[in-house]
Amino acid sequence: MKNSNDIQNESPSGLAKYKDNLLSLKSSFLGSFLRSGMPTSDKSRTAVVVNNFFLHLHGAKTHINTLRPSFTLGLGIISFSLLVIAFISGGFLMVYYSPAIETAYNNIKDINFVVFGGRLMRNVHKWSGEAMIIFVLLHMARVVYTNSYKRGREFNWVIGVILLIVTFVVNLTGYMLPWDQLSYWALVIVANIAAAPKELTDIFGITQYFDIGGDTKKILLGGTEPGQDSLTRVYLLHIIVLPLAICTALGVHFWRIRKDGGLSKPDAIKSTGNGVVNITPAQKTGGIFPTHKTYGLMELAKGRTPAVDNDVENTVTSWPHLFIAEIAIFILTLAAVIAYSYFVDAPLKELANPMIPENPAKAPWYFLGLQELVSYSAFMGGQGLPGLAIAGLLMIPYLDREQEDIGIWFSNRQGKMIALESFVVSAITVIGSLAFVINFGWFRNWWPNIHQLWIIAINPGNLLLGFVVAYSLWVIKRTDSTRMGAISLFTMFLVSYVILTYTGTVLRGPNWEFYWSASQWPIH
Amino acid sequence: MNSRFYLSLLLISSLVLIAFVGIAFNREFTPEWKWYQTEYKDFLVKNAKDESTRQRAERIEIGMQQIYLKSLKKSDRCVSCHMGVENPLMADAEQPFRQHSGNYLENHPIAKFGCTACHNGQGRAMNRREAHGKEHTHWDFPIIPTKYIHSSCAQCHDNEMLKQEGGEKVARGEELFREKGCKGCHKHNGKGGDLGKDITGIGSKPFAYFPMKHVVGDHHLYNWIKQHFDDPREIVPESDMRAFLTEEEAELLTTYMLTFKVEQMPRNYTLIKNIIFPKTDGESLYKMYCIACHADGKVSLYDEIFERTIPAIGNPAFTKSIDDRHLREIIKEGRPGTQMTAWNKNAAGLSDEEIDEIIKYITRERPAGKPRVFGFTGFKADKKRGEELYKVRCALCHGDDGKGGKRRLGISLRLKNVNPEFLSITVRDGRAGTPMVPFGKEGVGLGDQDIADMVAYVRTLSKSKKK
Repeated sequence: MKNSNDIQNESPSGLAKYKDNLLSLKSSFLGSFLRSGMPTSDKSRTAVVVNNFFLHLHGAKTHINTLRPSFTLGLGIISFSLLVIAFISGGFLMVYYSPAIETAYNNIKDINFVVFGGRLMRNVHKWSGEAMIIFVLLHMARVVYTNSYKRGREFNWVIGVILLIVTFVVNLTGYMLPWDQLSYWALVIVANIAAAPKELTDIFGITQYFDIGGDTKKILLGGTEPGQDSLTRVYLLHIIVLPLAICTALGVHFWRIRKDGGLSKPDAIKSTGNGVVNITPAQKTGGIFPTHKTYGLMELAKGRTPAVDNDVENTVTSWPHLFIAEIAIFILTLAAVIAYSYFVDAPLKELANPMIPENPAKAPWYFLGLQELVSYSAFMGGQGLPGLAIAGLLMIPYLDREQEDIGIWFSNRQGKMIALESFVVSAITVIGSLAFVINFGWFRNWWPNIHQLWIIAINPGNLLLGFVVAYSLWVIKRTDSTRMGAISLFTMFLVSYVILTYTGTVLRGPNWEFYWSASQWPIH
Repeated sequence: MNSRFYLSLLLISSLVLIAFVGIAFNREFTPEWKWYQTEYKDFLVKNAKDESTRQRAERIEIGMQQIYLKSLKKSDRCVSCHMGVENPLMADAEQPFRQHSGNYLENHPIAKFGCTACHNGQGRAMNRREAHGKEHTHWDFPIIPTKYIHSSCAQCHDNEMLKQEGGEKVARGEELFREKGCKGCHKHNGKGGDLGKDITGIGSKPFAYFPMKHVVGDHHLYNWIKQHFDDPREIVPESDMRAFLTEEEAELLTTYMLTFKVEQMPRNYTLIKNIIFPKTDGESLYKMYCIACHADGKVSLYDEIFERTIPAIGNPAFTKSIDDRHLREIIKEGRPGTQMTAWNKNAAGLSDEEIDEIIKYITRERPAGKPRVFGFTGFKADKKRGEELYKVRCALCHGDDGKGGKRRLGISLRLKNVNPEFLSITVRDGRAGTPMVPFGKEGVGLGDQDIADMVAYVRTLSKSKKK
């Protein structure tokens, strides 16, 4: 080191370089990590987004409407946060769980009793998964009511519906892993629902040639009774197939949001005069781009690109505005899930016992609306009606193509009235038809020997679906607006799902009979 | 631009998150068992008699304890709280530290037997509520109350040994089981009547198998069995069970019931010295299978629960008039339409030899000599006239349809394959000790022709449609 002055003018020695590098480790590492360091200007803020793998899915700039909490309510981010939480907690649980029917139940017991933080992690996994169902549904409701499934987002809605289905199935498969009584009998019910087409093939007498129901059940269970093979299958679905499906679909979902111009937003937000920023669309008078026209990026990208002449004045840099919002909602979700998990334990009943049927044997709560329909007709309730409902959801953006009032809750005053009206009408209809069935029974009670085909064709579930479709068509006719029809249809779908689920969960007791609460059940 | 909103949201959420992670960690770091272990350690340190004991006590590490029993497939963590179970110093301590009572642990080293093999409960659980597994813990086999604990001994030991060495409750329960006629209605290991439920393996049946609604106190198997003995209809309203037991007998029988388990202990755990097969003499068999309904068989009695009169099968007048072949047929095939089970090998599972022993016992006081022959086949019976006579003479007790039944003194007459000669003799001579009086010349004064007519009509009853 003494010689350092002598050789200053020459290239520094290797050790000196080493020392310098060591001293500047912090800044050089951070520089490589953040590439351009902490952003200080709008230009560098943009660079952060563009240069970061995790952030580059976002736009460099974000429209301020997107950031308004009252517009999205953060529901999409909450759903995604729940998924991340479920993935992490699920990875934790996988360490302690092995999918063998001899050990699975004991593994869960050990997770509950001796694994450090195991009970909490299991609760977190359980509740974040089930909360996903609620928040994905709410997210869909937000998309419908704010008219956000249009202008290129039609297919993204389809992906959203697929994600909803996968969310249901991934929850269901998880429900079966503890191999307790709940798991076992839910698996039996689900397998029977999978076998529901048998009801139809039996009627036509073709079951022995074409037993699609029975075969589906066998494929699901890996046999005719739930056992080790079923558990293996369910486990693989839960930890590999469905998570991969979710990640793929979610990737496309996010990517398309970006390609479709970010979140939908109103063309204009009208001032209410109460300090709300009055935002009007940019009134362009000059420039080479004509007013109110969007441009593709030459021939490379068709359709709409995010920022061309699209309210650029009302955007802010995503860093930090958007990311703060996202992180805040993630932390909020995490805090809520952990708080809930702290107080409420995930259920775990006795070890699975094929000799002792649960009575009532119930699927997990989110399927109890379906189970209620299944109690009318196995095929229609288990496959026909949900299939039609999903088809109906998928078709919403293709049957309602009115391009006005995008990004505004309920589109307009009329939309609010239609939503309210549909809510009341469907609530009355669903409760009424349930009350009718509970009090007076259905065909099988009146004519015990009636052919099953009659019940498949005419049962309360079908009538309800028919009513919902007919009513929304009537709304379209009355209002001359397919948008109103969409609002009406979705409202009725949501109301039916909630009421049927509530009925199946709370009001149905042993032998699927009606009770106001579980305390009135005859046994136990 | 709402940044302030999101920032405050972030701040509040973070605080909530930190708070809950904090209390969650705190809960993890301070489980119930740690308190117990600390208390135990402190107690030992404080009460150490000499320096070396004190040092040893101080070296006790606080940590989860577990007895892993590979062949029993159990992980018993009970000792995490019950730390003094092998410590003589703790003989008078409060639970959970008290030493195990008696000298049981001498022959049953805890490292080999663990805890739940005898005491049940949830060995994997690490908190009191779930380890004892009593109420709403979704555990099928909660800890066995001390008064029934002897039932566990029978998993490995034979009755003779139990009788002498600390398992007398099981042994006495077993005697009661044989004397109270339980198997008259309940099958056990394929043998027994079918009026009641099969009780094979009842001791290891899951909770959900039993209707718990009316059970007082903890809803578990032990209370169910005990209270079901106290008053069957209190627990299962539609039950027909007859149980007349004292409090002590009910507890002993409950103990014995709990020994009926499906799972068997591994070979190297069991200690069977001398199996004494249950006695198969007529008296024992009668008690085991018949006594619950027929009592001593001397008198016929109206049973409130069965709502019919139960015949007096030991009655000399009866045994005199019936021959063994006929009796054997009745026992083997039962009396359809009544509570009497078919006892043959394929039904209730009694062997021919056992039935013969029972018949020998029933007819032990059979008077010498045969009844005077009636000669039914010699009469030309008129069923029409018999019906009229039946309505007048018999219907009051036996009912218009001959079923006997509710509030009737008579027994059911709708019996297939009944011997008309036997019937005629019974009508003529009556059955002393029962309300059935002689209807012949010596009694009511009917002629043999009248009796033959009536018997002919009675025989048609079993063929007529059931009403």
